Amino acid sequence: HPHSRPRHPGARTMLPLLLLLLPAAHGVAQLGYRPTLTPSPPLEGLTTASTFVLEQPRCVFQDYGNAVIWLVVALDQATSTFNNTAGPGTPETAFQSFPDPVRAYMTLNATLGSYPCPKPAGDITVLRVGSETSCAQDVTRPTCNGPLPGPGPYRVKFLALEGSNPVAETAWSAQIMLRTAKSPNSISTTGSGHSAGMIAITTILSILFAILLAGLVAMLVFWDSDSCSGSSTFSKPESVTVRRYNTHHVYDQPAARL
Amino acid sequence: MAKSDDCAHILQGLLVFGNVVIGMCGIALTAECIYFVSNPHGLYPLLKATENDIYAAAWIGIFVGLALFALSILGIIGVLKASRTLLLVYIILMLITFAFEMASCITAATHRDSLTPERFLKQMLERYQNSESASNSDNEVTKTWDKLMLQNHCCGVLGPSDWQEYTSAFRLTHSDADYPWPRTCCVLDAQGLPVNLDGCKLGVPGYYNSNGCYDAISGPVNTHAWGVAWFGFAILCWTFCVLVGTMFYWSGIEY
Repeated sequence: HPHSRPRHPGARTMLPLLLLLLPAAHGVAQLGYRPTLTPSPPLEGLTTASTFVLEQPRCVFQDYGNAVIWLVVALDQATSTFNNTAGPGTPETAFQSFPDPVRAYMTLNATLGSYPCPKPAGDITVLRVGSETSCAQDVTRPTCNGPLPGPGPYRVKFLALEGSNPVAETAWSAQIMLRTAKSPNSISTTGSGHSAGMIAITTILSILFAILLAGLVAMLVFWDSDSCSGSSTFSKPESVTVRRYNTHHVYDQPAARL
Repeated sequence: MAKSDDCAHILQGLLVFGNVVIGMCGIALTAECIYFVSNPHGLYPLLKATENDIYAAAWIGIFVGLALFALSILGIIGVLKASRTLLLVYIILMLITFAFEMASCITAATHRDSLTPERFLKQMLERYQNSESASNSDNEVTKTWDKLMLQNHCCGVLGPSDWQEYTSAFRLTHSDADYPWPRTCCVLDAQGLPVNLDGCKLGVPGYYNSNGCYDAISGPVNTHAWGVAWFGFAILCWTFCVLVGTMFYWSGIEY
């Protein structure tokens, strides 16, 4: 029987051979690459509330020209339980059932031709995870690259499939946390205090106004008395003209004498 | 006798000069306040929505300026005629005008202090593209923000991240994946369409406006508020001196 355990003495040589064959049968190469968020140029929308931007895996899958490269997006807790043989487009990896009950979905399939190596300098090569809003609710599109439903944390990895066999995978990325939006009610608009200018204006003007009022009161109280200004009385314009007339006469007399 | 004559003339001359300056400053104040009230930068809907009284200060300034001009003429006549009653009327009316202008200055300064970025941020988040509200002021706020962002090439109050850090009325109708920030934050071409929509959504430098609009708002508002407040303060200081001189002159007039 091919499935019975080897019990005869030839089993000792069979066992190491079987052990050697097992990894070859799995055949999933562990590539050293770790997916990251795009480091440059600095993007304002690197992580938003429902999307994030990954660097494209350029020059990573060079040996797998026939494979289709998929992106696996998983909840942080689900990275250890993800099965590489779960196929894309099945209910177990459908985006529309993420995050419950599906804990990791597969999306953004591409062939090696989409990731040419080397990367041309100056090109911005990114993958925006979460950009397809049109198919987010469409169960006929289980590989939709829909917006992520919560702030995470998430982890991603790239998986190369030939047909339905996984042939290579990258390491899981570091934790990716998305932004959480606060309510505008949390913005405090209560006074930032008064500036020095405003305080200066208020105090100085108040003092000036008080002085003027005091002066007005003094004027009204001392209406009838000349006590404050006895020696420096200002004469009315009529008496001034009279004095001018007198001065005119005074000057005339010496002229007449001459 | 001659000495006090000279004193009288000197004081008269000074008071007439003082009143001429007050009259001219009154006209200038009126002109300045009319300029501010005419809303040259189109920011009035934003300020109105924050229930702010900076415009009230400007309106008071217009009338105070005209009153100062009229009273300065009265003052000149009263000084030249050395009439006690005219000058008393002048002083009392000037004090009333002084009080109003004082109120205008303090109002302008106080309300300027309350126009912090947080206030505008909260208003923008609650009202920009608020589709639920039927009130006209929200539409005005939306139009003002769009115009502000287009003309000044800016986004949000502090930056496009305002739309990410806080939920908003805009977020209720526009999904985060399609509209991380409004389309008016993108660099637009001549037809008003984004030059590169994906670049704008990603936040690639050059395809979106990365700075906030607070500087574009606070610049004109500061000019407005300090223009009313400090110019009014200067006029009042000068008026104080003229009034004190007038009181001395009045108390020295024979009757």
